[in-house]
Amino acid sequence: MKIESRTTAESPAPATTTATPIADAKAMYVRRHLTPLIFTGLVLLLPATLLAAVSNGSTAIPFTTVLQILLNGSHLFHFRQGWDPALTIIIWDLRLPEALGAALVGAGLAVAGVLFQGMLRNPLADPFLMGTSSGAALGAVIAFILPLDTTYGLFFSLTPLLAFSGALLTVLLVYAIARVGGRTPVVTLLLAGVVMNALLVAVQTLILTLSPQAQFNLQALFNWLSGGISVNSWWPVVIVGSLIMAGIGGALVLGQVLDAFALGEEGAAHLGLRVEWYKFLLIMLGSLLTAAAVSISGLIGFVGLVTPHMLRLLIGPRHRPLIAASALGGASFLTLADLLARTVIAPAVLPVGVFTALIGAPFFLYLLRQSKKEYRWS
Amino acid sequence: MVVNLRPESRNLSAAGGLPLLEVRNVTFGYGLQPIFFDVCLKLAAGEMVGLLGPNGSGKTTLLRLLSGVLRPTQGKIWLQGRELGRWRRRELARVVAVVPQELHIPFDFTVEQLVALGRLPFVGLLGSYGPQDHARIEEAMRVTGVMTLAERPFNELSGGERQRVLVAMALAQQPRLLLLDEPTAHLDIRYQIEVLELVQRLNREHGLTVLAAMHDLNLAARYFPRLVLFQRGIVADGTPAAVLEPRLLSRVYGIAVQVGIVRGTAHFSVVPPGSREAQETEEEMETQEPPPRVFVMAGGGSGERVMRALADWHIPFLAGVLNIGDSDHTLALRLASRVLTEQPYAPLSQAALEELRAALATVETLIICPMYVGPGNVALLREALSVARQGRQVLLLAPETVEAEPSGAMPTPGSSCGSLPAPALLERTGIAARDYTGGEATRLVEQLLQSGARVISRLTEVLALSAA
Repeated sequence: MKIESRTTAESPAPATTTATPIADAKAMYVRRHLTPLIFTGLVLLLPATLLAAVSNGSTAIPFTTVLQILLNGSHLFHFRQGWDPALTIIIWDLRLPEALGAALVGAGLAVAGVLFQGMLRNPLADPFLMGTSSGAALGAVIAFILPLDTTYGLFFSLTPLLAFSGALLTVLLVYAIARVGGRTPVVTLLLAGVVMNALLVAVQTLILTLSPQAQFNLQALFNWLSGGISVNSWWPVVIVGSLIMAGIGGALVLGQVLDAFALGEEGAAHLGLRVEWYKFLLIMLGSLLTAAAVSISGLIGFVGLVTPHMLRLLIGPRHRPLIAASALGGASFLTLADLLARTVIAPAVLPVGVFTALIGAPFFLYLLRQSKKEYRWS
Repeated sequence: MVVNLRPESRNLSAAGGLPLLEVRNVTFGYGLQPIFFDVCLKLAAGEMVGLLGPNGSGKTTLLRLLSGVLRPTQGKIWLQGRELGRWRRRELARVVAVVPQELHIPFDFTVEQLVALGRLPFVGLLGSYGPQDHARIEEAMRVTGVMTLAERPFNELSGGERQRVLVAMALAQQPRLLLLDEPTAHLDIRYQIEVLELVQRLNREHGLTVLAAMHDLNLAARYFPRLVLFQRGIVADGTPAAVLEPRLLSRVYGIAVQVGIVRGTAHFSVVPPGSREAQETEEEMETQEPPPRVFVMAGGGSGERVMRALADWHIPFLAGVLNIGDSDHTLALRLASRVLTEQPYAPLSQAALEELRAALATVETLIICPMYVGPGNVALLREALSVARQGRQVLLLAPETVEAEPSGAMPTPGSSCGSLPAPALLERTGIAARDYTGGEATRLVEQLLQSGARVISRLTEVLALSAA
């Protein structure tokens, strides 16, 4: 059946080899020469979105003022203070950490998306596939029902910590379950992830139904689950930032491994890779990035799915450039989404997840409608 | 009749020194179900070998063992004098390259990017591509003729182009041994020839050792000087003339074929019966044989000499029921007209038993070799008893059978042991030492002797009685 459809599709091959390729080669040529341009664009886009994010909010601050405040903060410049001193505090202690947090989360999720898509050989995989989301959510739910003030009271709030541990523990568990006889087949891994997701969601619902504390905190929990950058000091940004930066560095190192994985696990083995070991590394690295991101952002969908895909269309499938571009693109994308969430119906704040889904879902559907033959599990 | 399975070319190359690859007594199976047994194979550097066999014969599995993706259950594989398990993956990737049957890539890699992946075993994960790597990539693309495709996405190429790119990727690994898994399986005839010509050129001009699993017997005959016929073990190994033997092929593939040289060509052709080409073949090798009237029960190598002798004397015979993987089974596939087969290590099934009864009804002589008898095959002796009771000839081979004299005409039947007393006869069969059924087998042999079965200790006698 399969063979037949293939041969019929390819039988006019000699004719097509001369017809379409010219257009193809042209597209390839354009893509190759466009890549540096796209990188330059991405590098410039990130500070621009950050600046926009910092200057807009419940009260808009002019760009020049923002720039002067930021530059003064470096202690190298000394612009005369012609603005309300409260603005300095708003920018340095509220908006900048939040904007940087959003950028880090976006970068982390997008790179995790590249890692999972590359390892699973499927452009439609996303960072939450292995149960990270439900693990993090369960951790957060536990934090919310604890009889302490976990959100603001402590030096470092407990919610991110528990969400982070929940996500990582879940992935470790899924990996351990899927490992049979020294091998971890991708299908088993995915199925174990799905089952674990269902199980943890059930536990989460059970806790929410039974705990009186949960009823009390329901609004806060809802906000967390629908995704929103919740950063109220520099500490989480520094900690999560170093984790995500280390994760992106590791991902860049493993870029060539992902290229080889595109040939399938056996193909990668024929190129001299220890496939099981790298699979484990990739899963752990992707999960670390996801867990770190989720700990300060809640569940934000579509960044990890759409960003790598879109950039792959722009700069091609090689993973090292793709990881770098996805980190930059994801950071800009989420900073922008966070900005929209804060300003569209200001002073009220919408969950960021709403905006990423509003942009991401239609794009995802568009990809599905295209439904090229490569979008399938293999 | 018995083909020469050791062609000179092979002996010469093997004598030149250490073989590049040596498979020694390798057995492999997933879980408890074995796929093949006791495979031995030597590849000398510079050889070009085609691996033949029907679907599910284990060809692909053998290639995966050779590429180090799978480990043998038993036995060892040696590459350049070093056991395969002791090679590090990356070192191995610099010596052995694999061209898969086909490749699905989820992303739009270009041809050049793919071929460049072949350098990974040299570049390493942190390293970057140096000028030498780029030179190798370019050379691999030039040799395979995919230079003009360099910027094209792999997924948009035709089947033949894709196969050439995969070969280029393998070449970038600078391997000594190239393993190909049915490289022509999904190609139309033009690309089949193109790919095989390429592989042949690599073998001849670049000295690359090639082992390719092949589906198409005719293409295999045309391009490969040495063929290995595989059916859960190596059934035949030699030149196309030796391996493409109609009786052998029809037994392994389960369909009658004719082999010959079609007018105007220089290669062997394998043709299924009934087609017009079949009538045009010269040098027809298939000769109509009388239906076999001898049945051989053997196992564990006990039937080797008698089966060879029967084949030498052109006495057609049936053999069975033999387990797949038994050395007698492999030999019987080569020599017997038909082989009754049972799954590896499995006891005799009801279906096999009925097949056996049907086969026994057609023969006049039953030869029982000195095999070990256990609960799994004792049913053979029960069936033998009913044959003996019908008054047909049953010959029990004594364990210390003497070789047939190679010279002279058909020997005459002797009568050396007809007069011995019954207990001595039973002792001569040596059944007591081979009885793992707690006495049942010995009782059955005793009853066989009482029903007129004869104990024979000379192969010549067996041949004479069988031919009579």
